[in-house]
Amino acid sequence: MPDHDDAKRERDRQFREEALRWLPHVTRFALSLARNESDADDLVQETYLRAYRSWHLYEPGTDCRGWLFTICRNEFLRTRARQQREVDLEPPDLEARQAAAVHDSVRNTMLEDIWLRVDLAPAIQRALAALPEVLRSTVILVDLQDLKYEEAAAVLGVPVGTVRSRLFRGRRQLQEPLLIHAQDAGFAPRRPPSHGGDIQ
Amino acid sequence: MTEDRWHDHEMLDCDTVMQQLWDYLDEELTPDRMTAIRAHLAMCARCYPQYEFERAFLVALSGAQAEHSNPEALRKRVADALRADGMLEV
Repeated sequence: MPDHDDAKRERDRQFREEALRWLPHVTRFALSLARNESDADDLVQETYLRAYRSWHLYEPGTDCRGWLFTICRNEFLRTRARQQREVDLEPPDLEARQAAAVHDSVRNTMLEDIWLRVDLAPAIQRALAALPEVLRSTVILVDLQDLKYEEAAAVLGVPVGTVRSRLFRGRRQLQEPLLIHAQDAGFAPRRPPSHGGDIQ
Repeated sequence: MTEDRWHDHEMLDCDTVMQQLWDYLDEELTPDRMTAIRAHLAMCARCYPQYEFERAFLVALSGAQAEHSNPEALRKRVADALRADGMLEV
C-alpha cells in the first residue's frame, strides 16, 4: 500500500511541523489551567493525541496554536469533571468603576507602584488558580499567551464582547487578593501617591 | 481628518477613558481612539496614575507565566504517546 503509506507519512510530517512546534505554548497553557505539573503533563499528552487523531479536521495554514488551545481547554474541562461556576458579568461602566475603586483603595493605602516592587509571581499563579475557569482561561489566553481578543474568542467559542467582559472582571478579581498578599507580606510604601488635578 | 482627530481628543472625558483603559492597554481600539486616549492620558493627572497602575499590573501578570520543570521529559512523553498511537518519525 505505497500510496497509503506516503499519505500517512505526509500527514505525519504536517502534524510534526505545524502542531508539535507549539508544544512549549500548549505546555504553558496547560500549566496555567491545571493546578500541578503532573496534571498539566496529562493534559498536554491528551491534547496532542486528540489533535493527532483529529488532524484531518485541521485546515492547514489556519491558526494551529488556537486550535490546540481549544482542544486543550476542552480536554481540561472534560477531565476536571466539575461544574463551571456561573459568572454574572457586569456592564462596562460598572466594571470601569470597580476597577477605579481598586485603584483608589491602593492610592489610599499608598501602594500605587506595588506591582513593580513586590515579586508577585507565586501569588499571581495562586490567584489565577482560584479564578472561576471561564475568567481564568480568558486571562491566560490574553495576558499570558498574548492572544488578541478575537483569537481568544475563537478558542473559547464566545463573542469578542464576552472575552472583553470576562477579561476585565478576571483582572479585577486577580488584583484584589494580590493587594492583600502584598500588605500581608509587610510591604511598606516608598512615597505618598500624588493626588488628582490636571497638570497644567 | 486632522480636525476630526482633534475633536476626538477634545470630547474624551475621564469616564470614557477609564471605560476603555483595558482596551487601550491591549491595543484593541481603532488608531484614532488610541491616539485620543494617549493624548488624554498625557494631560490628565487623574487618569494617568490609574493607567500606570494597570499597565504595571499587566507587566507583572505576563511575567508570572509558570514554566515546566522538565520540558524535554514532557516532549519525550508526548512523542512516545504519539508513536504508540501510530505516528511515524515523531
